[in-house]
Amino acid sequence: MARYEVALDWVGGPSRTIDVDENETVLEASQRTGRSLPYGCRTGACGTCVGRLLAIDGTAADDDARDEEPTNVADAFAYRRTPKALKSRHRDDGYVLLCIAAPRTDCRIAVGSRVQAELVDNPWK
Amino acid sequence: MSDVNTPSDGEPDQDHDHAHHDHDHEGPGYATPQAAIEEGGREELAYVMSLYVGTDVDAPDFVAVVDLDPDSDTHGEILDQVELPNRGDELHHFGWNACSSSCHVEGLERRHLIVPGQRSSRIHVIDAKDRRNPELVEVIEPEEVFEHDLSAPHTVHCIPDGEILISMLGDADGELPGGFLELNDDFEIEGRWEPPGEVEMNYDYWYQPRHNVMVSSEWAAPKTYYPGFDIEDVEAGNYGQKIHFWDWEEGTVEQTIDLGEEGMIPLEVRFLHTPESTHGFVGAALSSNIFHFWWDDEGDEYRAEKVIDFESREHDDWDMPVPALPTDILISMDDRYLFGSNWLHGEVWMYDVSDPANPRRADSLSVGGTFGEVQEVQGRELAAGPQMIQLSLDGERLYWTTSLFSSWDNQFYPEEGERGSVMLKADVDPRKGTLELDEDFLVDWGECPAGPARAHEIRWPDGDCTSDVWQ
Ligand code: FES
Repeated sequence: MARYEVALDWVGGPSRTIDVDENETVLEASQRTGRSLPYGCRTGACGTCVGRLLAIDGTAADDDARDEEPTNVADAFAYRRTPKALKSRHRDDGYVLLCIAAPRTDCRIAVGSRVQAELVDNPWK
Repeated sequence: MSDVNTPSDGEPDQDHDHAHHDHDHEGPGYATPQAAIEEGGREELAYVMSLYVGTDVDAPDFVAVVDLDPDSDTHGEILDQVELPNRGDELHHFGWNACSSSCHVEGLERRHLIVPGQRSSRIHVIDAKDRRNPELVEVIEPEEVFEHDLSAPHTVHCIPDGEILISMLGDADGELPGGFLELNDDFEIEGRWEPPGEVEMNYDYWYQPRHNVMVSSEWAAPKTYYPGFDIEDVEAGNYGQKIHFWDWEEGTVEQTIDLGEEGMIPLEVRFLHTPESTHGFVGAALSSNIFHFWWDDEGDEYRAEKVIDFESREHDDWDMPVPALPTDILISMDDRYLFGSNWLHGEVWMYDVSDPANPRRADSLSVGGTFGEVQEVQGRELAAGPQMIQLSLDGERLYWTTSLFSSWDNQFYPEEGERGSVMLKADVDPRKGTLELDEDFLVDWGECPAGPARAHEIRWPDGDCTSDVWQ
């Protein structure tokens, strides 16, 4: 069974790299290794577990590259079910629901509760 | 594990001590709303939904037991935390296995708290026989709930024979339609209460058994509101604006009222407490209006009319006028006052609803939120506006917490997650119709051992203004 190295960068916090099996979700692997990511529904409906794909296969993870051409989530993960909590603009911007996403390559993701807060703005401010 | 004790020999239970009970009723609660006011006594403890979901704190949500006894050394402190076995629940609303509506069911006790996880769809049963040290006794796992093609449990009320009804906002995939899940008196899933598809959207509900009516409101599909509030969803019609009137015994919708543009996102819905009344109120959070509804004898139908309108306010630092967002409402036990919270503006308010068609503003308090005049209490900065409210049975003390929903908090009050919620209190003078902030009272979820937590719905151990119904 293939295993991939997934680097988790907590926004405003630490980073660590975990091994994730190809038939395991990133959330499951994070729970197995002791420091869990935020989550809620675990069915792809709530967005609590969302991460943002920064880089695939150890390619450079810098913000400029992300702005120009976001890394394609479909190259890095296979979904177990439809990611309901993400709109197409979110998918295009590299957001990925880690409760239902199993890796297909080594990659680096921004994680933590602050990524969830990026999904929607305050419309009045 | 039923709360109904059936006497084995069919004889009346001789051990049962009737000395302290009203002889007119045998079961939990009080014979009438007025009896609740007279016999209830002052609230000494509160159960409060407390949560870590959606933060980086790696801990499960919990039920806080808060000391409200002013003569206690631990007044204003969290006495106990009933920890749940899993993370990720988002505790939100909860209810008792029995309320005053079952006050004639002998042997039934108001003893078990039914505590759903809004995000996880997991349902917990907590035994609160020992009021200060409640314990978790039963867990219904999400997979059992999904089997009935339902998710996102919300409002819990008892059905007046020991069974329990929970409004469910989505199907198993977090989409529409929602529905209602019924539990039996052993806290097992009985199945769906209504024929599926009676409503698309669901949220809160309240019933008035003497009129065989239930009313339900609408938020949105879980997948719509879970990630946060997206104005695109409003434009796409993904948020609710209807209320539904049900045949309570049949479980079927008899009438739907579309509240229109002025009734967007109707959340908390309440009938008056007196079982004779068909009047009630619903708060439309997004359009920031309160609607009155009532049975119109001549038209032979329910009608609804906007009776309170909160204007948006300009703020120097915000691009657009800020809506009030009245997210919770509550009717005093004597049915005289309607209280509510404007979460974005930072206001709690009370209206005299002696004439429910013409509410008269009594008083309000500007605290927390975007515009609140009071922005700290005891040196503790307030991170958000007043949200879930609860009133003492005698109508003299109004309490509130500040968290709405973890992802919506993060969007409108990002500090709420970092500092945690508070519970505050105002003294109410029902004779004069006034509210006054009690600056001596503060419960701080920012100091919880695992890290700052949010606080949501509040219940009293022996019945309160947002859970008790009378037959
Ligand atoms: S935990 Fe809800 S979408 Fe992943």
